[in-house]
Amino acid sequence: MNCEEFGAMGLDAERDATLSEAQRAAAREHACRCSRCAALQDSWQAARVELRAFAEDTAMAEAPARVEMRLRQEFRTQHVTLKARRVAVVAAWALAAAAALVGAVGWRNWRHSQQEETTAHLNSLPATNNSPKNSSVAGANHETPAEVPNGVQQPGSTQTASSETLIADSEFSGFMFLPGAFASDTDDAAILRVRMQRGALGALGLPVNEERASEWIQVDLLIGDDGLPQAVRLPQ
Amino acid sequence: MSIADQEKDDVLLRRAAKGDEEAFVLLYRRHQAAMYRFALRMTGNTWAAEEIVQDVFMTLMRDPKKYAPTRGALGAFLYGVARNRVMKHLQRLPREIPLEEKNEDGTGSGVVLQDASTPSSWLEKQERMRQVRAAVLELPAEFREAVMLCELEEMSYEEAAQLAGCPIGTIRSRLHRGRALLMAKLEMFRDVPRRASVAR
Repeated sequence: MNCEEFGAMGLDAERDATLSEAQRAAAREHACRCSRCAALQDSWQAARVELRAFAEDTAMAEAPARVEMRLRQEFRTQHVTLKARRVAVVAAWALAAAAALVGAVGWRNWRHSQQEETTAHLNSLPATNNSPKNSSVAGANHETPAEVPNGVQQPGSTQTASSETLIADSEFSGFMFLPGAFASDTDDAAILRVRMQRGALGALGLPVNEERASEWIQVDLLIGDDGLPQAVRLPQ
Repeated sequence: MSIADQEKDDVLLRRAAKGDEEAFVLLYRRHQAAMYRFALRMTGNTWAAEEIVQDVFMTLMRDPKKYAPTRGALGAFLYGVARNRVMKHLQRLPREIPLEEKNEDGTGSGVVLQDASTPSSWLEKQERMRQVRAAVLELPAEFREAVMLCELEEMSYEEAAQLAGCPIGTIRSRLHRGRALLMAKLEMFRDVPRRASVAR
């Protein structure tokens, strides 16, 4: 080992685990032979002692407590914000789900009550429905579809229409005679309740508000002996 | 050793990531002193060391997934982060050497008189410490880091190379040049009072 090699790795040969035992022995031997390198090693050992003292001097150094406090504060801020955000998201989803559920239940109840109402109404009018006059009226309606105004759902045309087409009670009050009809023609008349668009009243010669022409309304028609509507009534 | 101490760093880190403050504080207390010493010896400035330690743990807090347990110990990861912060700090303030270390309350460095028998020997020791600190801080950053890791932290060359992210040969070379510079500076500091006393 020469002086240059000694300077590069001989000074700390005992600590350097990457050196072989032969290299360490060579470094020791060189230090014994070369007074300059021996002085260099002594100088380094002295410096090392001072470095160790310096290391010990700062060995107990620790970050001040305020750093921990700041970090704790930041930790809380970060995780509380995250937690609050998560809670808000969960709450929003829960509210949306609850609203959807309430809507669905409400709609189902409304449908159910509508059906019950219809059934109850149908059940309350069995006698009118079974009378031969009304049967003939219904038959007349089937036979003369062209005579029913456009937009009127004919009884029996579909299941929904049939369920919604009602034979009203035989009270004649509140009827408004259509243009050209005579009161005498209604002696044996039947009352037929139909669902129709408001605009179809125009075809019967009645005035219609154009803005509401597409509205579906229930109408009582007074059907004469000839099977043609004689009068009309808007039930409350 | 308490049960908490036995828990591994990565377990604590997972708990901390889920919002467990105590786990995070435990991790902090376990590693802060080493980080602080490293930063303090590298920068020579308590405020900078404090900021660096805070930055290191903020990084860990904000993005714990940056640390992969398969790539090494958490301590090494934190050293790496601290090293980057120190290098950035040194690039910004390349020659910052405080005249005197101050505590939070503005008093001195807080060194306790332990082994010095007389005030004069204590003062002499303090003066020598100041010189050694100044000599270390005047080394270029790479040499200072090698000297700090291998001589002050007493790490092996392999460990130092791993932390510095360079081959062992580079560490050995930096250490060799760092030692030469350090010895020259210490010799110079030693000579100044001698010359002063001779002149008197």
